[in-house]
Amino acid sequence: MVTLQLVGSLRKELADSLSTCRVLVVGAGGIGCELLKNVVLTGFKNIEVIDLDIIDVSNLNRQFLFQKKHVGKSKAQVAKETVLQFCPTANITAYHDSIMNPDYNVEFFRNFMLVMNALDNRVARNHVNRMCLAADIPLIESGTAGYLGQVTVIKKGLTECYECQPKPTQKTFPGCTIRNTPSEPIHCIVWAKYLFNQLFGEEDADQEVSPDTADPELSWNPADTEARATASDQDGDIKRVSTKDWARSTGYDPVKLFNKLFKDDIQYLLTMDKLWKKRKAPLPLDWLEHQKLTCPQGVTGTGLKDQQVLGVAGYCQLFSRSVETLHFMLVDKGDGAEELIWMGNCDDPPAMDFVTAAANLRMYIFSMNMKSRFDIKSMAGNIIPAIATTNAVIAGLIVLEALKILSGDVKQCRTGKFDSRNGELFSKLM
Amino acid sequence: MIEKEESIISEEEAAQYDRQIRLWGLDAQKRLRGSRVLLVGLRGLGAEVAKNLILAGVKGLTLLDHEQVTEESCRAQFLIPVTAQGQNRAQASLERAQYLNPMVEVKADTDRVETKPDKFFLQFEAVCLTGCSRDLMVRVDQLCAQHNIKVFCGDVFGYHGYMFSDLGQEHNYVEEKPKVVKPKTDESNDGPEAKKPKVDPNETTMIKKTASFCSLKVALEVDWTNEKAKSSLKRTPVDYFLLHVLLKFRTDKGRDPHPESFEADATLLRQIRDDVLEAMGLSSELLPHDFVSYCFSEMAPVCAVVGGVLGQEVVKVGCQLPSLSSPIPGLETGTHRQQPPSKHRYPSLHKSCGSCSARGSTTPSLRASDV
Repeated sequence: MVTLQLVGSLRKELADSLSTCRVLVVGAGGIGCELLKNVVLTGFKNIEVIDLDIIDVSNLNRQFLFQKKHVGKSKAQVAKETVLQFCPTANITAYHDSIMNPDYNVEFFRNFMLVMNALDNRVARNHVNRMCLAADIPLIESGTAGYLGQVTVIKKGLTECYECQPKPTQKTFPGCTIRNTPSEPIHCIVWAKYLFNQLFGEEDADQEVSPDTADPELSWNPADTEARATASDQDGDIKRVSTKDWARSTGYDPVKLFNKLFKDDIQYLLTMDKLWKKRKAPLPLDWLEHQKLTCPQGVTGTGLKDQQVLGVAGYCQLFSRSVETLHFMLVDKGDGAEELIWMGNCDDPPAMDFVTAAANLRMYIFSMNMKSRFDIKSMAGNIIPAIATTNAVIAGLIVLEALKILSGDVKQCRTGKFDSRNGELFSKLM
Repeated sequence: MIEKEESIISEEEAAQYDRQIRLWGLDAQKRLRGSRVLLVGLRGLGAEVAKNLILAGVKGLTLLDHEQVTEESCRAQFLIPVTAQGQNRAQASLERAQYLNPMVEVKADTDRVETKPDKFFLQFEAVCLTGCSRDLMVRVDQLCAQHNIKVFCGDVFGYHGYMFSDLGQEHNYVEEKPKVVKPKTDESNDGPEAKKPKVDPNETTMIKKTASFCSLKVALEVDWTNEKAKSSLKRTPVDYFLLHVLLKFRTDKGRDPHPESFEADATLLRQIRDDVLEAMGLSSELLPHDFVSYCFSEMAPVCAVVGGVLGQEVVKVGCQLPSLSSPIPGLETGTHRQQPPSKHRYPSLHKSCGSCSARGSTTPSLRASDV
């Protein structure tokens, strides 16, 4: 009879292998915090963790290695410090950096026995996937969103890689929909984000906000459409002067901006009568008229302030205030920096106020029900709802897969899908 | 007025809970904020459940544990400081638990759970038992069922874990189904078009349902000599029997199998397996010889998985979440060493343990009296 030696729950050989190998954890956020904790408690000793982000208050409902006093600090750094408190013997290296930095080359990846992703974006996942294939290191890929989570193992020569299956692409909308004929709130929100960039951020030729005279709907004849487009350039139409330059020339006067965007441009759209034959025509707004209406008084009810929907007059005021604030911020930045950066899922009040106001005014113009700041933030900021428990389960599954890899049991590895609404865990062999 | 206070959510809470409010809604978060939970046992699994409940934002969490911190318990969980050896486990976990979320009232209680009188349990909306003896779990389950207090039990033994939930004889819940949006001509809602019917994931209808949970006692006391039960044996996971063995070990030895006494404990475990399976009229080959190697200590990732599932179940109850599908009925066991290539839930177990009738299923289920 073979004598079995256990170190905790693990057979000695496995425990020894854990304490000598090096592993890389990419990301120290929702999955990352849970994963680091599991990795350390399971017995891994040499861990490197990398994350480019800093801590935000909205992280605290699930990224449990961070406290309120850490807001603003490096996630990787604070995660390391907190973990060392409950496991002082762990050897952790933290990088406040992007994994896509060329310093982390194939040689860097080859140092590790195993790489575990805890990322939230496709670009980084594609990158790590390729590095692990090049270095021939096993990669455990994972992701969570709300109640759902998934874990997969990627090993060159054995499984398909992250990019083998085509992933659904980000939804984009045609320019004419955004500029001329929005039919859903998201079109208005995208327009408002484009407007933010045109006025305060980096101007992008693909993010035009003025009426699109080259709209294919305006004419059945493609040659005709082209003629219109060149004609408009020649007769000094809106497109010739950049939106930012025009705004500067008015001194970012909120009333002038308002009347151009929500009255003049809309009146121009109305002249393109083909567009409105089967659609409800937009209604231009006038600044002075809406000044006469009173704003809603303060916050009513017991909901979140952000979940209130203000009236048109309220959004007129909000538009005006946020333009002034953002202009002030732009000027304050000085001569060199001419841009503000859109940070969707940080709570950057003036930028979010601006997008909320501009999007809602456009929704009103195009006869859509207006949305609260709370809802607009979800859509504009690409915010994914998140809870601790889904991340906890997925991070547990990641380590279980890691143990199989280290035991030489790669063939036992599985793809797992978890739904925390009903505790359902589906898994199948790779 | 107290009511008014409770119904207002502070800016601080709104900011911190933002990502989960966007998932389960503001009302659910407010209800969660009114619930008090008891958690017994602060080993690896207990620490995970504590973390999940505190982060979610319950009103209060009481940590009950009479044991002392040992060198092993420092390595096993992330709430106890390495300098805390000799202190009470609940006390030692308190500070870090509180740091997870200062808005939750976290308390430590150092008494033995067996010595607590009935009325102690009645102050909570939900009770979560880890590391408890079978007799205690059955007692608390029966007591709480009478007072509409929800009971959850769970343990991790090496690579294996289980959880049990008892939400009462008549648990009302609501199931959300996506609505098929029919075109309306007079609507000028989100856009002037939308003439074609489509499934709108944001629009759902709520269907009321009732589920009936069997008690832990019934779940564990299935008579396997009965023909009906024997036929469902194939679909009953082996872990169910492993649980019986491990709970018996815990009752007999007053502790769980410990790596330091591996040889002696392994021998005893095999003996108990033989006795337990024989008493059930089943073959001892049901639990293979090497089962002992995988049920010592608590595996951290298994604690994370069971703690996550258990935590979410408690949160669902605390939120009285209308937007979730049904609670997991009954007893769930699983091993994370080799997962079967199928769903992790085992419906056969519910049939054999009696009165579970979740999802309004029309298949006749065995009643406890039939078995």
